[in-house]
Amino acid sequence: MIQGVPAERKRAAAKVAQNANGHRRYKGLHARLTGVVHKPAIVAESALKTGMAGKPVTPAPAVENTSNAAEKRQVSFVQMLVFELRVRDAMTSPPITATTTDSLRSIQHLMKAHRISGVPILANDVLVGLVSIEDIINALDEGHINDAVEPWMSRKIVTLRDHFSLVRAVAEFDRHGYGRFPVLDGNNRLVGVITRGDITICLMHQLERRAEEAVAKEAALVATRAADAKAHRVVINTDVKSCDFESAGKLSQRIREVLRARGVAPEILRRAAIIAYEAETNIIIHSLGGRITTAIDAIKVRIRAVDRGPGIENVDLAMQEGWSTAGPLARELGFGAGMGLPNMKRCADEFTIQSELGGGTRLQAAVFLQKAETRL
Amino acid sequence: MKLKSASKLPALLTVVEAQPLTDLAEVELSGCYISDLLSDVLANAQPGVLWVTIHTHRNVVSVASMKDITAVLFTCGRKPEPAIIAEAAEKGIMLLSTLLTTYETAGKLWKAGLR
Repeated sequence: MIQGVPAERKRAAAKVAQNANGHRRYKGLHARLTGVVHKPAIVAESALKTGMAGKPVTPAPAVENTSNAAEKRQVSFVQMLVFELRVRDAMTSPPITATTTDSLRSIQHLMKAHRISGVPILANDVLVGLVSIEDIINALDEGHINDAVEPWMSRKIVTLRDHFSLVRAVAEFDRHGYGRFPVLDGNNRLVGVITRGDITICLMHQLERRAEEAVAKEAALVATRAADAKAHRVVINTDVKSCDFESAGKLSQRIREVLRARGVAPEILRRAAIIAYEAETNIIIHSLGGRITTAIDAIKVRIRAVDRGPGIENVDLAMQEGWSTAGPLARELGFGAGMGLPNMKRCADEFTIQSELGGGTRLQAAVFLQKAETRL
Repeated sequence: MKLKSASKLPALLTVVEAQPLTDLAEVELSGCYISDLLSDVLANAQPGVLWVTIHTHRNVVSVASMKDITAVLFTCGRKPEPAIIAEAAEKGIMLLSTLLTTYETAGKLWKAGLR
């Protein structure tokens, strides 16, 4: 790989020194990445394509076994990124290039202008060499800065393909210790240059983009859920037993919870709860048992109470405040004020009651959720 | 005797010689309502009041909770079952008990400035 040109030896030596740091930095990631997915394929392909008899890498220990679930997820996400992203996603393209006849001086200016440390050299649009900043320094040192580049450039170059994964690119950086690789497409045309810095920046941009996407997705999900919850129709069926004073209030408690979660105003919420409570206690006190069906949607709460009798003899009378047929037990517990039905009617935006003696009583009340008018 | 903080719950303890059944918070009462008819309380009590009643049944807690009543004072020495006291505490309703009658209680509360 390294030719007998002194400049190249120095360059290679410098690269190896640089690699000592770089390698340490990437080793952990590399081991974790290559140790878990697709590793054999990558090593084999890499050795084959670069024509190097790279010594076999022993599989890295499975880090996942010792890591907790959260770490595992994190690692697999980075893994996903590094395997998913290609060299072409991270490389600088189009590359800054020079031709074999350009002077070293002009290449030095090129490096300074673009803040780069290596320039691929083309002859008839084909990659023939690479000049690094060390080559320039050596030429300058020996007084050849104004010469053409051709004798000073490195001719044997390791390249990457634009379709290689970034994890493969990281492996190649670790293997060769170069600061950059020219990138060729399927037709052997030079399409870019990639450095370790390019990979880092690409990963960071991707992470940032995905994080933003995740945040946006999460926000959209929360908004949709809130809208769903508001529009979602909840139906609560409650069977109410005769004389079951202990259970009174459970339905109204549930209704209050649902409405509170939907941000309904306390005054409206209270009216719906009072209707439900009076409907519950009416069935407990006066009937043989019945059922209350409560439907809550974005517009209103509808409470429908149906009992199995014995029915109300005179509904008009029952609707009068103070009129009650409650028995001694109910009165002892504080019921039977004769205010239940009038209370419900007052709290409701819509109220209907039908009853016949010997049959049952059907009562329906609705409270609109949007109205802010104070009734109680 | 006119109390400065007549509408504060702990101060009223001494006024009506009441015993707290739940933890009492330093809460301002918006007024007082006295009734032994649950539907009457549902219809007419304002949120944030002290409710004075002789009833100690679970329904008192339900009604108090529904009307956002701050505290319930039981007269004539009545006290609810421990389970009901626990339920009230869970719903954030404070409970007190006094040996005084409802009439005596009303008179003392009014005199102390709870209006």
